[in-house]
Amino acid sequence: MPEIFINGQSVQAERDQSILQAALANGFYIPNFCWHPELSIAGNCRICAVQVEGRSWAEIACNMPVVEGLRVLTDSDVVKAYRKSIMQLLTLNHPVDCGICDKAGECKLQDYHYKFNGSPSVSRDAKVHATKFHPLSQRIVLDNERCILCSRCVRFTREISKSYALGIVQRGDSSLVRCAEDHSLDADPYSDNIVDLCPVGALLSRPFLYRARVWYLKPTRSVCPGCARGCSVQIWHRKPEWKLNALDARRNVCIERVTPLENPEVNGPWICNKGRDLAQIFERPRAEQAMQKGLAVDLAAAIDSARRLVAASRHPVALVSSWGSNEELEAFKAAQGARFDCLVKQDWEPQPGEWLDDDLLIRADKNPNTAAARALFTHTYDDTRPLDADTDLVLIWGEGFDFARLPAGARTILLNSYLQPENGHADVFIPISIQTERRGHYTNFEGVVSEFEPCFAKRASVADAETLFASLFASEGIPA
Amino acid sequence: MANTKLLMTFPVTASSHMLAAYRARGGYGALEKALREMKPEQVAAEVNASGIQGRGGAAFPMGRKWAVVHPMDGQPHYLCANADEGEPGTFKDRWILEYAPHLLLESMLLAAYALQVRHAFVYIRGEFDQPYRRLAAAVEEAYAAGYFGQRILGSDFACDLVVSRGAGSYVCGEASALLSSIEGKRGYPRNRPPRLTVRGLYQKPTVVNNVETLSNIAWIVANGGAAFSKVGMAKEPGTRLISISGHIERPGVYEIEIGHPFARFIYEDCGGVLGGRALKGVIPGGISTKILTASDIGPLTLDNASLQTAGSSMGSGGMVVIAEGTCMVRLLQVLLRFYHHESCGQCTPCREGMGWLHRIIDRIVAGDGHPEDIERLYQISAWNDGTTICGMGDAAGYATSGILNKFRDEFEYYIEHKRSRCNGTLECPKSS
Repeated sequence: MPEIFINGQSVQAERDQSILQAALANGFYIPNFCWHPELSIAGNCRICAVQVEGRSWAEIACNMPVVEGLRVLTDSDVVKAYRKSIMQLLTLNHPVDCGICDKAGECKLQDYHYKFNGSPSVSRDAKVHATKFHPLSQRIVLDNERCILCSRCVRFTREISKSYALGIVQRGDSSLVRCAEDHSLDADPYSDNIVDLCPVGALLSRPFLYRARVWYLKPTRSVCPGCARGCSVQIWHRKPEWKLNALDARRNVCIERVTPLENPEVNGPWICNKGRDLAQIFERPRAEQAMQKGLAVDLAAAIDSARRLVAASRHPVALVSSWGSNEELEAFKAAQGARFDCLVKQDWEPQPGEWLDDDLLIRADKNPNTAAARALFTHTYDDTRPLDADTDLVLIWGEGFDFARLPAGARTILLNSYLQPENGHADVFIPISIQTERRGHYTNFEGVVSEFEPCFAKRASVADAETLFASLFASEGIPA
Repeated sequence: MANTKLLMTFPVTASSHMLAAYRARGGYGALEKALREMKPEQVAAEVNASGIQGRGGAAFPMGRKWAVVHPMDGQPHYLCANADEGEPGTFKDRWILEYAPHLLLESMLLAAYALQVRHAFVYIRGEFDQPYRRLAAAVEEAYAAGYFGQRILGSDFACDLVVSRGAGSYVCGEASALLSSIEGKRGYPRNRPPRLTVRGLYQKPTVVNNVETLSNIAWIVANGGAAFSKVGMAKEPGTRLISISGHIERPGVYEIEIGHPFARFIYEDCGGVLGGRALKGVIPGGISTKILTASDIGPLTLDNASLQTAGSSMGSGGMVVIAEGTCMVRLLQVLLRFYHHESCGQCTPCREGMGWLHRIIDRIVAGDGHPEDIERLYQISAWNDGTTICGMGDAAGYATSGILNKFRDEFEYYIEHKRSRCNGTLECPKSS
C-alpha cells in the first residue's frame, strides 16, 4: 500500500487507485463531474485538479496514479484559481435556468458554483444557444444548453448498458450528445440511469419533468419488486411537512420518482427502467374494501368468515405469494402450522414485450421474493396442472391466480391489494397492504436480504398480511 | 555555414517521385544495408546517436521516444507516421509526400525494423489529394518490388503498411487523437498517462513520428548517426524543412541547416518581403508559435535554442511572413476563428475558451470592443495554458498572447476608434 500525502497528511492508498479515488476514500473532497467510479476515466471536465507539491501548475486527479510518497494539495491557491476558471468556463454558455430546472437542488454545477466560483460570469458576450427539449427517447429529453459534455451518459451506454445508443456529434462548443443513427436509446432497458448520472440538468426524465422540486421530496429506502434481482432503490415522495393543501391530495401519497440506492452486493449504482416505473405497479387502483362473495363487509367480519372457512376445511391448499416479505412468509408458515398444502405462486409473469433477462441486472423471474418463499415452502404452484380434486379450500395470497383452475366445490379466500375482477369471485376477500405501506425484507435470487421501509400510511380498511395470519389461523372462539 | 541538404537532394522532375528514380538516387540502399548487416538494436542505436529531434513541433528527441518501446517484450508494437499536417502555414511534409514518398517508406521500414514492428501506419491529412495519390502509388510500387510484406529482401523481416486518410480535423494531428481516429473512434486526444509508447494504438505500445522526422532515418542509417549529428547544431542536429508563405517574394519549402541565420533566410534565401515592404512580423513555426517582430529576428538563428531566447520556437517549421500594413487585430481574428473551428470539444477550457476568444475578437473587429477585452483575451489564454488534454489550448493561448504582447497598441487603437490603424487588409499586392 503506497503512502501518499494529501494536504500534508499521510494517507494509505491502494496500489491501483488514482489520486482522486484515494482522496475521496480518505475524506478529502475533490470536486468531479466527468469521473464516475463505475465508468472509464474521461478526464474532460478538468475540475478535479490538484497541485503536486513543488510544481507550479494544477493537474487532474482522476487520471493521476498513486505513486509512493507523492505529495498533493487539494486546496492550494493554484488549485482554487484553476477551479474557479473551470467553473467560469463551464457556466459560460450554461443558461443558469435553475429556477425551472428539475436538477436544481441536487446539481453538481450549482453546488460547485457556490463552493468554488461564487462570482458572476466575466463574459460580456451573449450565451451560445443550443437545442432545448431534444427527445433522446420516449423516456428522456436532452437540454443541450445545460449539457457540460462530461460524456458520462455516452460512456454509460458503451460500458455498462452496452446499447451504444449515444455519441457526441459536431465539435468544439457546437458539440452535442445525440443518439447514434443505428441504435436507439428506447431499446436500452437501463437508459434512465443516465438521468442520474448527468451531473447537470441536461438529461431529464419525461415522467418526472416539472413534476416536483427535489427539496420538497424525501427518499425512502426500498427494494424493487420488479424481478428476482431485488435492486435497492429510493422511492421519492413528498415530505409530510411540505404537504400540498391546494392541489390534488393524492400528490401527497404518490411516488414521484424512483432512483437507485447504491448497493454493491446487488445492483451497484444502477437500476433498470422497470424499477423507475414502480408507480405503474404500486399505483394501480387499490382494493380497500373487504368482501364476501362480492358483497362489501367490514374487515373484521371478513377475517372472521375466513377463520371459519379455515377451521372447517379438511384439505386446504395455500397459494403463497412470491411478493410476500420474509416476515410475512415466516408469519404465514408459523401460523398455519401443517394444516395447508403450501405451493409457491409466481404472482407476476413476464409481460409481452418485457425485457426478459440479461447479464447486468434483469432476471427472468419477475417476482421479488421467490427465493425466500421456495426456501420456506419448497413446492411450486404449476398453473398448467390442476389442483388436487379433493381440495375443499384454496387460500390465494396475492394476484395472478386464474379462478378457472379452481377445483369444483372448493371455497376460496383471496388476499389481494389491487382492484381486480377476481376479488368478487372469492368466498372471502381481504384487502392487504402493499410494500410501500410496511416494513420488510426480500431475499434476492443470490440470497442477499434487502430491507424496505414504509413510505405511506396504510388505510384502516386494509389488513397487514403479517398480523393477519396470526388471527386467520387462530382456532379460538370457533365452534367445533 | 555550408548549407548541407539531407532531404531535398535532387531536382524535382515529373518522375522523380517514382521508385525507379528513387532507386537511381541510391534509394532503399539503407534498407538493404540494415537488413543484411545490422541488427535492429544497431539501427536504433544509430538513430539515438544522431540526436535527431521531432520535427512536428514539440522537438522531442526521437531516440528517447523509441527507448520506451521494448521490441522483444512479446506484444505487438505499432509505428505510425503522422502525415496529418494541419498546422496553418505548414506544408513541408507535403513536399516529402509528393516528391519523395519512397524516402518516407524506406525510413519507416528502417524504423519498423529497429522497433520490430509488424504493422506500420501512415495517417495522412484528408485534404491532401495529390500527396495521397503519390503516396498510395509509392506504396503499391514498394509492395510490388518486395519492400513490404513477408520476407523483405530475402530476410526474415516482415512489415505491412496501412495508409489511413483523415477527415479534416486539425486535432487528429495530435498523436493520440490520430490513433483514436485510426481505430475508427472520434478523434479525441487521450489523457496521459499512459504514454502512447506504453499504450497507444489498440492499447499497444506505439511510436508516432512526424513524416519529416522519420524521413531522416534513411540518411542516418546510410551515413551513420555520428555523421548526422555533425550537421546543424550540436544540440539540435540535422536540417529543417521550412515552409514559408505570406508576404514573401519566393514562398515555398526550403531545407536549411539548423542554426541558419533567420534574417539571411528571409531576406536572401526567400527574396525578402513581398513588394519590398517593411517586415512587420514573422510567425516562425506554425501559428501556434509566438510571433516575432522585425527587430526580434535580427540576431536570431533558426534553431529552438535561439528562438526560445525570443520567447518562441521552431514549432512545425511553417513560417508566415507579415508585411507592414497588415492589421494584427484581423490577423488574430483569423487565427482564433481557426482555433474555434478546430477545437475538438472534449475538455472544458478549450471547448469553451476558443469560442469565447473568437466571439471577443469578432466583437472587437465589428467595432464593439471594450477596454477590458484585452485583459479577457489574456485571461482566457492563461486559463488554457497547460490545463487541457492536448496542446491545442496552450497553442491558441500562445498565439493570442504572443500577438497581444507585441501589438497591444493596435488592439487598443482598434477598440478605442472602432477601426484598424492599418489599412485593414491582409493582402499585399505585388509591386511589379
